[in-house]
Amino acid sequence: MATMTERKKKTVRINGCVASAQAAKYADVDVIAAYPIRPYTATMMALAQMVANGELDAEYIVADSEHSQLSIAHGAASSGARVFTGSSGVGVQFAYELYSPISGSRMPVQMMIADRTLDPPGDFGSEHTDALSTRDMGWLMGWSCDAQEAFDNHLIAYRIGEDPRVLLPQMVCQDGFFVSHITGDVDLPDPSQVKEFLPPYKHPYPLDPRHPVSHGPQIMPEQGPPLQLERARAMEDSMAVIEQAHEEFAQIFGRRYDPWVEEFMTDDADDADVVFFMQGAHAVTARFAIQHMREKGLKVGLVRLRTIRPYPTDRVKEVLSKFKVVGVIETNMALGSVSSGGVLYGEVAAALYESQKRPLVISFMAGMGGEAIVLKEFYWMTQKMMDAQKRGKIEKRTHWVGFEE
Amino acid sequence: MATIEVERQILPILGSPNQGARFYNPELPSSEPFVPGHRTCAGCGPSIQYRMTSKASGDNTILVGPTGCMYVANSSYLCTPYNVPWAHTQIGSAGSFTAGVAAAYEAMIRKGKWKGKFPNIICEAGDGSASDIGLASISGALYRNHDCLIICYDNEQYANTGIQASSRTPYGGMTTFSPPGPLVPEGKKLFPKDLARMMAAGHPHCYVATASVGYPIDLMNKVRKGLNHKGAAYLMVYTPCQKGFVYETPRSIDLGRLVVECGLYPIWEWNPEKRAFDYSFRPQNMRPVSEYLKLQGRFGHLHAEHIATLQKFANEQWRMMGVQLPEALIHAADAKNLTNMAAAAEAEAVAQTL
Repeated sequence: MATMTERKKKTVRINGCVASAQAAKYADVDVIAAYPIRPYTATMMALAQMVANGELDAEYIVADSEHSQLSIAHGAASSGARVFTGSSGVGVQFAYELYSPISGSRMPVQMMIADRTLDPPGDFGSEHTDALSTRDMGWLMGWSCDAQEAFDNHLIAYRIGEDPRVLLPQMVCQDGFFVSHITGDVDLPDPSQVKEFLPPYKHPYPLDPRHPVSHGPQIMPEQGPPLQLERARAMEDSMAVIEQAHEEFAQIFGRRYDPWVEEFMTDDADDADVVFFMQGAHAVTARFAIQHMREKGLKVGLVRLRTIRPYPTDRVKEVLSKFKVVGVIETNMALGSVSSGGVLYGEVAAALYESQKRPLVISFMAGMGGEAIVLKEFYWMTQKMMDAQKRGKIEKRTHWVGFEE
Repeated sequence: MATIEVERQILPILGSPNQGARFYNPELPSSEPFVPGHRTCAGCGPSIQYRMTSKASGDNTILVGPTGCMYVANSSYLCTPYNVPWAHTQIGSAGSFTAGVAAAYEAMIRKGKWKGKFPNIICEAGDGSASDIGLASISGALYRNHDCLIICYDNEQYANTGIQASSRTPYGGMTTFSPPGPLVPEGKKLFPKDLARMMAAGHPHCYVATASVGYPIDLMNKVRKGLNHKGAAYLMVYTPCQKGFVYETPRSIDLGRLVVECGLYPIWEWNPEKRAFDYSFRPQNMRPVSEYLKLQGRFGHLHAEHIATLQKFANEQWRMMGVQLPEALIHAADAKNLTNMAAAAEAEAVAQTL
């Protein structure tokens, strides 16, 4: 009889791409749709080898484009198969047409994204713009900051997306290279734990000749709004399921994540005045920089967004209202937007609009083009936030870090 | 890993002669996967094809419908004509979505997640999807040899969007994207993409064939051969469009025969085992192209020289099929022996006023 102690857990040293492939294997996916583009490719390379070795029984399809990848995933999920696909950069955008049809037909396709800067000019470094450009297409979306979290997020996302109360596709994102190609220790669970956490995929209305259904018939304009409302509600209603899934994950796997935000050095004891707000891998450097600045007596902290869709508006409002200044680290481009900077500024400012106590908000364009955000840049940004706190107003909405004194 | 062997369906081939169009055939299955309740035009060639195809395939079938007439006019929300599972997909996703369905069933049956015989998986793509925007996705599905049948219902235009030229629109065919005018008297200047041959040449392991709604038993048998073939199959079917071709509604089947009899739509099969074309199909008659053209408003603007150009094209197709050309067809390829279409003068007059 298997007991907890007999479970075959093991720790391996792998990068984010391989962690994602491992998660797909543990989820026992049925269909994999691959197409090469750096940096996510290594995930599909690892899966190809697993299938070739007989470690994973899945249909491994090398598609003719990302558009086809997502269409294959759509067709397979519609037939009742658990599906895994992924992409990076312009590949994410080549498949753009499919994002709304997949969420609209309520198919819980899972897509791994290792971020890459969009063209021009062929920069393969990480920037979150690729995935963020699809953020309002009805996909659950969030970033992990290391390989372990990437592994965990894939399993959690399947669990949420396939829940009959949700039935939505998921983009499980990680920074290209900073997560995808940096190795770390990853605890791989015993398969029985995954079995307990993730029930088999069972769509209520698959394409099954024994129970004929029509998917996606053509509608008249007056039939559109109710269907759009249903999809919008599914997104909203997923929030309770997301919290439940993270709770059960903690109980079964022993790792607890706040589903919405990770707070670092922000509690009452630490009493931070200024905080960084960001997603993804640069938070690892941010933690280190903050610890260093704390030693010098600077009251700085970090709020890392873990799930951006559905966006935890109330939680963001509640958390950020505690501080004097919020410095948003974008790592994405939103040309000509609210702040003439990135996407996150607008998300933060909108959440704070209803707050009685609004902090000052500054947007930092940092980590662009796949550049690392180095310690001295964190110090520089902290100085800008503290200047604003002292002055009681911001100097300007958006700073391009590294381009100013 | 323990795996379950995938069991596949084998459908019988109908013994009736290819030539008969209008008689009762007791061998036909009674099942009707495609039933009334759609909004296609009277005499719609693609929907006649749809009924024959799904009848040949039977009830253990899944249909995939990329955007096009057979999506928009068939599947009205809350009232669809499909008695078998059907899914819409994007116009460029014909091959890829279908591949996903086939891959899902391979995996689910093998892993014991679904029990039963492998379903017949059929994609019904219009010629715009099949020859233009979805070409790569279909080529991908054929190349990877998923067990499915991809049909191009070829009405030689984008009809759903209001009659626009596709890569399959014939030379001289008028569409809203290829209108005749003083500078372009023939309308469409380009010859159609040789789509089915391209699929056979590029994917020789697949069963590939052409067919026409004018020969229903031949069409249904090719559907069954394609489905029985283990792996991918491709079928291109002539399906006239009353709205775009502008003809008298009851003549859809007649056009389906005339287009073959005049040599503009060669009917053949590619045999993947022998790696050879089978050109043995012969229509009962051979006719000059003008007999086919004159029934359709889309060719009403053509001059003698354009008709001769089309006759030369048809004659090349006959030669390709290994047919000895009768003197009359060689004669008909010379513009001197032809007259302008009756409407050509009117078409020119209208064009001058624009």
